[in-house]
Formats: sequence, structure tokens, C-alpha cells
Amino acid sequence: MVKRWQKWARENELFYLFSNNRIAQLAALLAFLCVAGAALSPWIAPSNPYDIASIDIMDSLIPPVWSENSDTRFLIGTDDQGRDLLSAILYGTRLSLLVGLLSISFACVLGVSVGLMAGYLGGRFDAIVMRIADVQLSLPAILTALLIDGVARGILPREQHDSLMIVVLTVAIGLSLWVNFARTVRASTFVERNKEYVQSAEIMGMHPIRIMLVHILPNILGPILVILTVDLAVAVLLESTLSFLGVGVPPNQPSLGTLIRIGTEYMFSGEWWIVIFPSAMLIIMVISINVLGDFLRDAFNPRLR
Amino acid sequence: MNKKVTLLAGVSLAILLSGYTSAAHAETFKWAGTTDPQTMDPHATNSAPVLGFLNNVYEGLVRRNKEMKIEPALAESWEQLGADGWRFKLRSGVTFHDGSALTADDVLFSYERASSEESDVRSWFAPVKSVEVVDDLTIDFLTNAPNPLFPDSIANFMIMDRDWSANNAAERPSKEAENYATRNANGTGAFTITARDPGVKTTLKPFANWWDELESNITEAIFTPIGQSATGMAALLSGEIDFISPIPLQDVPRMKERDGFRVHEGVEARVLMFGFAHQADSLKFSDDVSGKNPFQDVRVRQAAYQAIDVDALVSKVMRGNAQPAAQLVSDAMRGYSAANASRLDYDPDASKQLLADAGYPDGFSFGLQCPNDRYINDESICKAAASMFAKVGLNAKLTSMPVRNYWPELREDKFDMYLLGWSPGTFDAEHPIRFLVATPNKEKKLGSWNFGDYSNARVDELLPAIQTELDDAKRQAMIDEVTKVMQDEVAYIPMYVQPLIWASKDNIELTQRTDNFFILRWVTVN
Repeated sequence: MVKRWQKWARENELFYLFSNNRIAQLAALLAFLCVAGAALSPWIAPSNPYDIASIDIMDSLIPPVWSENSDTRFLIGTDDQGRDLLSAILYGTRLSLLVGLLSISFACVLGVSVGLMAGYLGGRFDAIVMRIADVQLSLPAILTALLIDGVARGILPREQHDSLMIVVLTVAIGLSLWVNFARTVRASTFVERNKEYVQSAEIMGMHPIRIMLVHILPNILGPILVILTVDLAVAVLLESTLSFLGVGVPPNQPSLGTLIRIGTEYMFSGEWWIVIFPSAMLIIMVISINVLGDFLRDAFNPRLR
Repeated sequence: MNKKVTLLAGVSLAILLSGYTSAAHAETFKWAGTTDPQTMDPHATNSAPVLGFLNNVYEGLVRRNKEMKIEPALAESWEQLGADGWRFKLRSGVTFHDGSALTADDVLFSYERASSEESDVRSWFAPVKSVEVVDDLTIDFLTNAPNPLFPDSIANFMIMDRDWSANNAAERPSKEAENYATRNANGTGAFTITARDPGVKTTLKPFANWWDELESNITEAIFTPIGQSATGMAALLSGEIDFISPIPLQDVPRMKERDGFRVHEGVEARVLMFGFAHQADSLKFSDDVSGKNPFQDVRVRQAAYQAIDVDALVSKVMRGNAQPAAQLVSDAMRGYSAANASRLDYDPDASKQLLADAGYPDGFSFGLQCPNDRYINDESICKAAASMFAKVGLNAKLTSMPVRNYWPELREDKFDMYLLGWSPGTFDAEHPIRFLVATPNKEKKLGSWNFGDYSNARVDELLPAIQTELDDAKRQAMIDEVTKVMQDEVAYIPMYVQPLIWASKDNIELTQRTDNFFILRWVTVN
């Protein structure tokens, strides 16, 4: 068993590169900590920031434990409502990551299917879909997301805003990021389509859908994985930006962006911890995911090694 | 290293100096506030951001001076016509910004406009029976009953030109839709509007033919609404603006220590309160109560009242810069009811007991509406209150929005509970009774801001008597009675009196009036 694992490790290129890349390892560790902290937040967070009955306004704006007038119950202080900042950050990261993952999955499924079909079928479908993608690419992703978010808010009755906001955000961010997937997948599919294995599958009379999913898709997974990682960071940032602007998740369920927005109101008054800690969390998470994405890109691209 | 430091110091000094010199000879005055006046129509919205702003552009028959006392404006003098009403003598030679002369007919027109169905300020004219033009410069306001306070009550009644309004199809104010007067103005005031971009900026310049002498040396004034208080602070600190109102309470201590800036503090006449949907048949935003409205039960309202720890709100959210309030006016107002000065105690256990007695031992959920750019820390107050409510089982689902959307939502009754701040325009306890407590009645122009339709027959009976009573002691006794009724029935949850906190560069001379109106003609740039 151990031997087999050693053999795999020796022969697996990705693992080999990873074991020799200190920065990627550090990034992976940080990303893992963020994800684990977020996923386990209901169990490891000192308190539940969503439970407004447990918040006491008298605990508001308490500084971190190493400063004066602090309170040992609140490791890195409290916000303006008396929420424990550490708990709020853990829960906020969870929400940010959840929205990020959901929307990137949505973008991935949409982009990959469109890209595969466009690349494999070509012709008019390809032309139309890719022009749409081009048009969307000329708009910044944040604008697309704001647009969809705004339209959804206008259409949905206000009572349902809170419950549907996560779905709306997912769709809004997903729709603004699918283009990257579609374009890359289409280009790779173009290359693969003319290779012998695809041609032989065609001659054997396989259904096009089967060819696309079973034969082409596994061979273009590398680039998809890279985009998935890099765009996850983008999705998390987009969610935070929308929440920062006040059009994201409902205010009583703070995501990182909401926490940063609250924090900015206290920037001039000396309560620095409300804005610094959530920002630091966001930066660390996004950078580590990005570094991982970069590592994957290099690993999958022989020319860059 | 040393060289670098000198260079740096030199550069920053140069920047500083250039900043100071440019500020010294520029008489362009830039100011910012959290709320953009929604309309330039003086009769379309009875709210302080609008009336305060328009006080620079339009004028009334009378106006308030720096000490809030009434002084002559468009009317040179006025006298009581026995018990029948008041006669106003207009100032001669006053012209509107477009050059046409002010006549008694314009005042009559403005009265018709401001008391029309579409107007938001019609309740000011509830006591008026009719208005009669005597001659070109004399006009009579005849009242239903003797009304000793009438001139005091119309300081914000602004006069518009009949021809201008008629030519631009703005003969009636428009609350929801826009008309010409929503974006344009033609008053007699000290400043004219030269450009208006709603929500972005409004530019004014002094009116050369103003009848009074201008105290200010401003040649141009630019107003920019800045919703985010931190952004506003940054703009002030970086010199982009000269004045901002209000500044965040948390920034006051630091602001006072900084050189080059000045903090202007005062107590505003505004009382912040929660209101209930008294007449609604059912809660609109509840998950667990349908078909009935718990807030119709006085015990539930009292439970909500006693669940709020006002001292905590004042000390934490308002940073000690507010006074708890037990009634709808502060103790600085005429008619304040000293007999009813104490609040109900903060007592969550009593709240729970009251809820259990009323049949809601586990509480219930409801919708709480809140503005987020109207009052100081309004959203924070609502959030803190929501968590206090939650402790007794009242699960408030908070929705906060800009005032632009807030008033329409309240007018459409889309709330179970809401936040409201009220500053009595007449500086008298009768004002909130007329607007917030009297049963809404379009005919009689009463209760126009009583969104929850609170109604009490005794209050409705006493209000006309309060308005006409000349004897102070008798009047006070009636106000005391109304205040008692309101407190016993928990018509509202009065919380605290809001502070006035403005900040400016220290080269700005200004006057801070307690109604939070920012009067441009008293601003001097040194």
C-alpha cells in the first residue's frame, strides 16, 4: 500500500511539482485554513452572529484583546452592533465562499457546455454564441452582475429578497463569469476535434454528445481546472464587492464585503479592527486561491516550466 | 536619507500652502449632506432636507431668525383681525428670481397650491377658513377660530409665482411624479438655483435683486449629497468640501483635535421614535402570525416599548450625544408636558410577561422598516433595536432603504413597525399632535404623517381646542392630557432627541439653527 502510494507520488507530475513549490504549498495551506474555518464555522466560532437575540449593544466596538478596554470573550474585538468579529468573519467567509463556489459551478457548467458545443459543432451556433460572449466580455463582470442583481430586485417581491438573494447573487456572478470558460473550452475543443481519436469515434458512429463528454472533455480538463481556480477568487471578490456596495447578501447575514462596508464607517474614528480583519481575511483568501491557480496553470503548461 | 526627508517635508508644505491659498480667495462654498432634497417643490414634501434646502431659495411671509424667533420676511408686518384671523402687509418691491413682482395674488395662489389635495403641507392650513386679497400688497388669512400661533406656523410656507407656475404647468405640487417645479425653482430668496442634477449636485448663486442685505460673501454654492458618512468625512478632510452635516458621531472626538476644522454641536428638536401599524388587519411581513395584528393590542405595544434599552442606544450607538425622550417633543419645545416626563423602564421580563398576557408567549415576527440615510445612525439604531426585540421574542425583520424609497413605502402602508424622526416645525407640542397623532383626515388636513393611522377620539376632540386656546395654562392642561393618552396607549415609542453635529473647515462662519436647517445666507468664508 505504502509502496504503491510512493510510486504514484513519484510518477505523478502534478504532485512532484507541488512538493517542490514552497509558495504553492503555503497558498494551499492558507486556502485550506480559510475553507476549513468557513466550513466548520458553526462549530468553531465562539458565537453565532446571525442570532440577533444573543447580541448585546453594550458589547459594541470592543477592541481586540491585546489593546486597552478589551474583553477576553472577543478575541479580535466586536463590531458596531456588538457582534464578535471573529465569529462574524468565519460566518462571513462561509457565506462568501458558498456564493463563490455556487456561482463558479454555475458558470463552469454553463460555459463548458456552451464552449464544447461551439467548438465541436462550429458553424452558425458557434458564431452566434461566441459573438454573445464577445459582447459580454466588453462589459466588466461587476457591471453585468450589478445589472442582473438590479433587475432581479426589481422583479422579485421584497418579502422574498432575503431568501432568494443567494440564488440571485449566484446567477448574477455566474452569468458574468461563464465567458472565460466558454472561450477556453471552445478553443481547446477546436484542437481536439481534428485529432484521430475523435475522428475514429465519429467513424464508429458515436453520438456527438457522447464524443464531447466522454472523449473530448477529459482531455481539456487542465485549462478548465485553472480557470475554475482563478475565477473562484474572482467570484469571491465579486460577491464581496456587491455586498460592499450594499446590493449583495441581506444585511443581517454579513458576508466579508458587508463587514468591510461597516468597517469603513469607522476608519477615521480609530476603530480600525472592524475594517482591517475582514479585509485581511479576504485578501489572504483571494491571494492564496490565485497563487494556487497560477501554480496549476504552470503545471499544466509544459512550455512554462 | 536626510535629503529625502527634507524633500518630502518641502513637497508636503507646498501642497499644504497651495491648499490654503486657494481656499482663502475662493468664495465658492461646497457643502454636503447625507440626503439630497428629493424635490425643489416647496409644497410637495414636508421634510427637513427639502424645506431646509429650499429656505435658501424660496421665502415665506415670515421667517425664523438665528434664535428661531419669527421675523418679517415677505410680509413687512401682520396684525390680528380680532378673532377672525390675520392680516399680512406685503413688502413692496420684492421680485422673484425671474424678475416678476410679488403681489398678494401670488400669496393667494401659493395658499391654494399648498392647501390643495396634492400638497404634502396642507395640514399647515387646517385652521384656515379662507384667504382674501385686500389689495396688491395686503392679504387676509381668515381662520375658523382664533389662532394665536398662526404666523409661527407658516414660517416654512413658501411663496411661489402664479404666472411662472402656470406657464410651466406646475400649478399643483406633484408628490410622486415629476413636474417642472420638481427640478426648477423660482423663489424670492437670497439664492437662485443655477443647476440641478438630482442626487448628484445642485449649484446656487446669490440673487442680485434680493430685497434684504446679504450677510454672506459666497459667490457660488454647490451642494453634493454624500450618503456614506465615511466618504463625506474623507471629502471634508481632503478639502473637497467646506462643510458637512451631519458627521458620524464616532468621528467627533478626533475631529475636534484636528487643526483646520471645527465641529458645531447642538441639540436638534428632532425626536426619534418607532411607529406601529395600528389599523392594519394583519401583519404584512410576519412568518408566524396571519389574519391578525398583534400591535392592535396595547400590551404588545408596551412590550415592544419596554424591550428597548434606550440608555444603551444613547450611550453606544449615539455615543452619549442624545437625550432620552418620553414624548414626541423635546423639553426645549413650547408645550412640553413636564407632567409626563418619565419613560417606561427598560424591562425585558415585563415585556415577556406582557407578550404572554396578550397571547404571544413565544413572540412573533414582523417587518421593521428603517431609513438608512435620513437620521444619525438610523440603520444602526434599527439593528440594535432588532436585537433588543429579539431578546423578548419579537423577531423584527429589518429592511433599510434610502428615504427616496422610504416615504413612498410608508405611504403605501408597507410596514408593521417603522422608524420616524419628528422635528416640530412650529417648535410647539401641538405640531406633532396634528401631524402624527390626529386621526388622518384629508378633509381637515390632519394626521398627514400618521402612517400607522393611530386614532383616538379624545385626541381628535382636544386638538382643535389646543389650537384655539389663548390661555397658556388651559392649553398646557390639554396638551398634558393628550400626552398622557399617547403614553398610556403607546401610540409611538419615543426614544431620544437627536443631536446636531456639523463640521466645517475653520475658515467658515455659520449659524446652527436648532431645526437643522442650513441657511446659506449666514455663511461667511474667511
